[in-house]
Amino acid sequence: MKWSFVPRGSKPVYITVNADEGEPGTFKDHFLMREDPHRLIEGLIIAGWALGARNAYIYVRGEFLPAIEALTEAIREAYKAKLLGKNIGGTKYSLDIAVHRGAGAYVCGEETALINSLEGQKGQPRLKPPFPAVNGVWNMPTCVNNVETIMALPWILENGPEEYQKLGTPKAGGTKVFCVSGDVKKRGVYEARLGIPLMELLESEEYCGGIVGNLKGCIPGGSSTQVLTAEECKKANMDYESLASMGTMFGSGAIMPFNDTHSVVEMLNTLGKFYSHESCGQCTPCREGTGYVQRIISCIANGKGKDGDIELLDSLCTGFTGTTVCPLAAALGAPVQSYIQKFRSEFEDAILKNPEHATPRLSENYRPQGWWE
Amino acid sequence: MKEPSVVTITVDNKEVQVPGDTNLIEALKAVGLETPHLCYHPDLPVSGNCRQCMVEVDGPRGMVLTIGCYTPVRPGMKVATSASSPKVAEARKAVLEFLLVNHPLDCPICDKAGECLLQENYMMAGASDSRLSPEIGKQYHGNPEHSSSDSKGQHRGGKRVDIGPRIVLDEERCIQCSRCVRFMRHVAGDEQLQLASRGGHSHITTFPGEKLDHPYDRCVTDICPVGALTDKSFRFRKRVWALSRIPTVSMDDSLGANIWVDYADGIIYRIMPRCNPEVNKSWLSNAARDVVQNIHENRLLNNDLSAALQIIKETKGKIAIVLGGSCTAEDIAAFKKFNIAEFFGGSFLPVQKADGIARSGDPVANRACLEKAGINTNLGELSKRAGEFELLITVAADLWDETPEEAGDLNKIPKRIALTSFNNNTAKNSAIAIGIRHWLENFGTMINSKGLEQKLQGTPTKEAALVDSAAIIAGRLHG
Ligand SMILES: Cc1cc2nc3c(=O)[nH]c(=O)nc-3n(C[C@H](O)[C@H](O)[C@H](O)COP(=O)(O)O)c2cc1C
Ligand code: SF4
Ligand code: SF4
Ligand code: SF4
Ligand code: FES
Repeated sequence: MKWSFVPRGSKPVYITVNADEGEPGTFKDHFLMREDPHRLIEGLIIAGWALGARNAYIYVRGEFLPAIEALTEAIREAYKAKLLGKNIGGTKYSLDIAVHRGAGAYVCGEETALINSLEGQKGQPRLKPPFPAVNGVWNMPTCVNNVETIMALPWILENGPEEYQKLGTPKAGGTKVFCVSGDVKKRGVYEARLGIPLMELLESEEYCGGIVGNLKGCIPGGSSTQVLTAEECKKANMDYESLASMGTMFGSGAIMPFNDTHSVVEMLNTLGKFYSHESCGQCTPCREGTGYVQRIISCIANGKGKDGDIELLDSLCTGFTGTTVCPLAAALGAPVQSYIQKFRSEFEDAILKNPEHATPRLSENYRPQGWWE
Repeated sequence: MKEPSVVTITVDNKEVQVPGDTNLIEALKAVGLETPHLCYHPDLPVSGNCRQCMVEVDGPRGMVLTIGCYTPVRPGMKVATSASSPKVAEARKAVLEFLLVNHPLDCPICDKAGECLLQENYMMAGASDSRLSPEIGKQYHGNPEHSSSDSKGQHRGGKRVDIGPRIVLDEERCIQCSRCVRFMRHVAGDEQLQLASRGGHSHITTFPGEKLDHPYDRCVTDICPVGALTDKSFRFRKRVWALSRIPTVSMDDSLGANIWVDYADGIIYRIMPRCNPEVNKSWLSNAARDVVQNIHENRLLNNDLSAALQIIKETKGKIAIVLGGSCTAEDIAAFKKFNIAEFFGGSFLPVQKADGIARSGDPVANRACLEKAGINTNLGELSKRAGEFELLITVAADLWDETPEEAGDLNKIPKRIALTSFNNNTAKNSAIAIGIRHWLENFGTMINSKGLEQKLQGTPTKEAALVDSAAIIAGRLHG
């Protein structure tokens, strides 16, 4: 686990809970913190003790007011019960927890942007290395973990890691909190073992209770993951290997099935707007590229598409991979490429709606050589 | 200084020896491989945000794309540039296309054209066709205060934002490389510029109600890789490819900042810093640049020495010669031959503290050479003993212009000859004034405040063709 990278003893260590939860379709952390803030505190004490941290931060998205209220109340109670602060429960160990409200930028969920924002700087990802585990908050070793990761700790400590491993698949043990939205009968937050077949999650009465309408496709792990077609959904198991083998990602556990009343082009248009709005503007491909890609998609969606736009989109999104500071640009590139690949005909139909779709991009008067040559 | 270590790395399947304690851009440069870059500047902290300098480097998972400016050299590492890796070439081209998506087509009217890194990178990557269409268009969303829509419905930004008394900002041309922000923060130590907003809306700006105003603010126009920040004193005056440049040393103060003098047809247009890591790095103060502001105005072109010779011949009493701080070692040596005279040097201007960037604070540039020649650089003594002398010759020492009050004492010396470049108060205050070349037009040697010997090279201005240097006039007065 990534805790092993944190150097011990030499410097103060910080532990930070990532409760920014910006990924579209994800709402589990908000729910977990609102319903069971005490477990998060318990998990933080365990994690802090294991890492030797004296201070912990919970970075919460600013809009999550109910969760923030629940958390602050729970922390106040814990201080009263001497379960936080100096010498917790009479032991030698001390821990303080501070709740920090972010301003609601998606990119501040990225570890290093979160750290910058926590320190009061502009929420922009840092260059890596050094990784936060070596040089994070206040230039000290820092461990950044998701709410869910921390909240799993109390159960594991109580029942033993072997018990936890037994749930789920041999390679990835444990359970996962999924948040399902979209065209299902019972939307909501569900905890299930890792490796559960996607269709079981969507159709069984225990979980979502079935699809509304005809399943067309499904976003398996938040909006930045590659989409699955209805065919692929039938084969998918919700664990890291199975999804990776289908060319997509496990992501944040936000599952969004959609039926055939939805236009894929419109969906992508919305995604494009989100990611181009949320780019932090630090690096070129993302700052300029997400807006560029979004404008092309919006042209296609508004009946102004041209022949060649699909290829252009694909090649622009290839330009996002490996060229940016953080994966935000690729988080738009991946869905764009997968939507195009899997639902290409819808894009072609949208382009055909433009009566002038075949006119060349550049006018005939255009001369590639400049006038000075 | 520490000896730089040399390590062996593999670049494009060839083994090469490169300096060990630097990044890949510098290492590749040392073996003659240019990496296109925009945000990286050798004298600024790395920000790694333009993403233009992509290379491939071997890692635990094979060759991975990474940025050259942030990758330290590691002995034995494997590097692939665009020459051997199509992936690198593609990535660089992709970044370049993104840079140009919202960049205006301004080159024909842009002051930076000809020395613009973006232009250079475009030519290096191989000019390619635009994939933009009118519907997609160039859409610049910068500072909402300056944004507008043009006749084609495209979003435009501020084209001439008055960001400070000396600098103009063109928002559309800015590529958000943050060089100017880092300069103000880390070098000038006064964070006056900021990248505000995020995403496609991010733009360079000052704090509300404030202006970019700093004794080094013109440096931002040098380091701005594009034509976003331009200098009001140079804007639209000359295309840079029509300029010739002479490397010389600034005699504005005793640090002797290394400079380029850019001129054309005998006219000097600007002074630019010339990088010297041991002297001024890549920086130059506004004051040192302002020297060229009036260099061609009010010049003293009198080349006739007969009257001066007459006076020297008639003088029976003591002669004092004051050599100004911009005299070169050669000028000093030539005047030292007047063994009948007593020598003083320097100026009445006070010595200030060094600012740690590119000024030593000492206005007497060549103080080290003056002192080496055994010349008294305390002019106060001359003031006190002014009554003793019958003739005063000032050489490139414009005392009545710099410090009229202190110079007033010297009026007690009855006969005065001034050798100066300008028809200024000093010239008017002397019986005879003879024109000499300005230090920008002079050849010679100076020793700076750090003891470094540096050579001056003269710029062939139209005035330099009409007057002689102080050293030559010294010879003629003597012989
Ligand atoms: C653009 C971007 C946004 C992210 N947003 C979140 C987020 O909202 N919440 C979250 O827990 N992790 C987010 N992450 C992932 C974090 O960087 C990090 O991997 C995570 O906090 C690690 O937690 P874990 O090890 O407990 O899973 C984001 C990553 C990126 C690149
Ligand atoms: S990829 Fe986008 S969000 Fe990430 S650092 Fe670059 S500009 Fe910022
Ligand atoms: S900044 Fe460079 S590329 Fe842009 S208009 Fe000026 S010269 Fe052309
Ligand atoms: S104004 Fe120039 S130096 Fe500053 S960020 Fe823009 S391009 Fe870079
Ligand atoms: S020069 Fe390396 S990222 Fe800009």
